[in-house]
Amino acid sequence: MRRFVKRFTWSQFIISAVLLVLSFMVLIPILNLLAMSFSDPLQVHKLSGLDIIPKGFSFINYEVLFSNPLIVRSIFNSLFLTIVGTALNLFLTALAAYVLAKTDFVGKRVVILFLIVIMVFEPGLIPEYLLVKDLGLLDTYASLLLYKTINIFYLFILMRFFEEVPDGILEAARIDGAGHFRIFTRIMLPLSKPGLATLGLFYGVYHWNEYFRATIYLTDPNKWPLQVVIRQFVVERDNTTLLGAQNILSYEQVQALDFGSLQAGTIIISIVPLLVFYPFILKYYAKGALEGGVKD
Amino acid sequence: MTQKGIFHRVKKDWVIYLMLFPAILYFVIFNVIPIIGMKLAFQDYRVIGDNIWVGLKHFKVLFSSPAFFDVLQNTIIISSMKIIFFFPIPIVLSLMINELRNGPFRKYVQSVIYLPHFLSWVVIAGVWISLLSPDGGGINVIRNFFQLPSLDYMTSKDHIRWVLVFSEMWRSAGWDSIIYLAAIMKISPSLYEAARIDGASTFQQMRFITFPQLLSTVVVVFILNLGFFLNAGFDQVFNMINDSTISKIDILDTYVYRIGILNGQYAYATAASLFKGVIGVILILSTHFISKRLTGKGVW
Repeated sequence: MRRFVKRFTWSQFIISAVLLVLSFMVLIPILNLLAMSFSDPLQVHKLSGLDIIPKGFSFINYEVLFSNPLIVRSIFNSLFLTIVGTALNLFLTALAAYVLAKTDFVGKRVVILFLIVIMVFEPGLIPEYLLVKDLGLLDTYASLLLYKTINIFYLFILMRFFEEVPDGILEAARIDGAGHFRIFTRIMLPLSKPGLATLGLFYGVYHWNEYFRATIYLTDPNKWPLQVVIRQFVVERDNTTLLGAQNILSYEQVQALDFGSLQAGTIIISIVPLLVFYPFILKYYAKGALEGGVKD
Repeated sequence: MTQKGIFHRVKKDWVIYLMLFPAILYFVIFNVIPIIGMKLAFQDYRVIGDNIWVGLKHFKVLFSSPAFFDVLQNTIIISSMKIIFFFPIPIVLSLMINELRNGPFRKYVQSVIYLPHFLSWVVIAGVWISLLSPDGGGINVIRNFFQLPSLDYMTSKDHIRWVLVFSEMWRSAGWDSIIYLAAIMKISPSLYEAARIDGASTFQQMRFITFPQLLSTVVVVFILNLGFFLNAGFDQVFNMINDSTISKIDILDTYVYRIGILNGQYAYATAASLFKGVIGVILILSTHFISKRLTGKGVW
């Protein structure tokens, strides 16, 4: 550990300064949106793009956003899709990973080869869309939950975690008369919590951030997840929907609202859950990503 | 093994096959069927009744369409710009982070620069639209400070590709440095010890120990990136494109989305998508085997 007790040198000072500036370049645009969302709508025009302290202070943007039924519903939709989706992903991926990592059966090599082949040949967008349409899944959450329900990259990563569980334990259970499914639920899953946590975060972040398939498969705005709603406001600049709950406000209050601040508020709302899980993400995600050599 | 032996093993292991069944069923329906569905590229789509085989009709239209070549050119230009200007940044970052002592500051820097990787491109587009706003956005505040007029980057044909490169850096440079940082951590401390005894400075140690040891990881990541050359960042472009900039940043994937999903030209869009897919598979397979040969590491 000698290399960690290096002397503090000028070059280290310069490097620290550069990294500090880079970290500000990441943080300031986000903190600026945070400041914008909490600024008083009458003073927000004084807020420069580099400010991180609100001008005045007001909850009005969040009051408007949280009284807009479309936004509140979209938050619950996103939570639902993330929780159910991740649970489904984890169960099916773990089931397949157990069989491939810990059992020996006729045809195993064929199955692995099959997985590698379909991993390389990504199906195109259009046949996938037509399949979802033909199955009658348009405008249902099944269309989103059934996309990459088992991510093959992640399956291979989980197999490596499972391989680390000693065979002896499984063998002992088998001698005691436990079947494969029992071994899977009672021994494999409890002993692989770090691996499952890692994959849960991979899948969870994916579901929380998913917007594209929701954009093309869901036409009913009541079913939209938060990301699609944000896209509607920020990218498509749909200000009418953003105001949604104008009936709680007087005409003057609506006039005074700042659309930029409302948009900033939706972005901040979507980041909060990620920040809650961020310590776990830092702990598990990075290790898992390196383990699999996955670049995304 | 005899025929009978195999049959007995399969029968004995029926639980295993039962547990594997959901995964296989899933992959057959949602991977194999759409892959076979790519045959639509050689057909005309019919809402009712069977599709009609039309051979290479759509490819002939595709390859004689100036729009397609514009899109292909944009894809190649944007991907190349990202490789040239983005690719080295995470390497430099990892070298810099490695020089920090373990402690709160290092932890702070890592936590902050990894964060944007976990934001969706919808959110990042929102952050960047605000940052680049001609109406008081951070970058224009800096421009105005230096007496330069405000610029509307998001609608500027001359700047939009650079917006893609820099927003990619903002999102991924930190996170992508992890893989290099992990490689640096594996370098034996005794090498540094010996160098220090010989009086090597921090930069000399970086230049003559860290960087050469890092090179194989750099080669792997570079080659594997080439395999995804035609992707050029669909989610990013999809959320940053607008009518003013479409001629500069419309890429293959956004083109397929527009003519396929929006215009409903399913067969024609599938032809464009198959063209991209075939080149993609060739690139991934060749880069995988080149990487395996050179360094022993590949995509799988």
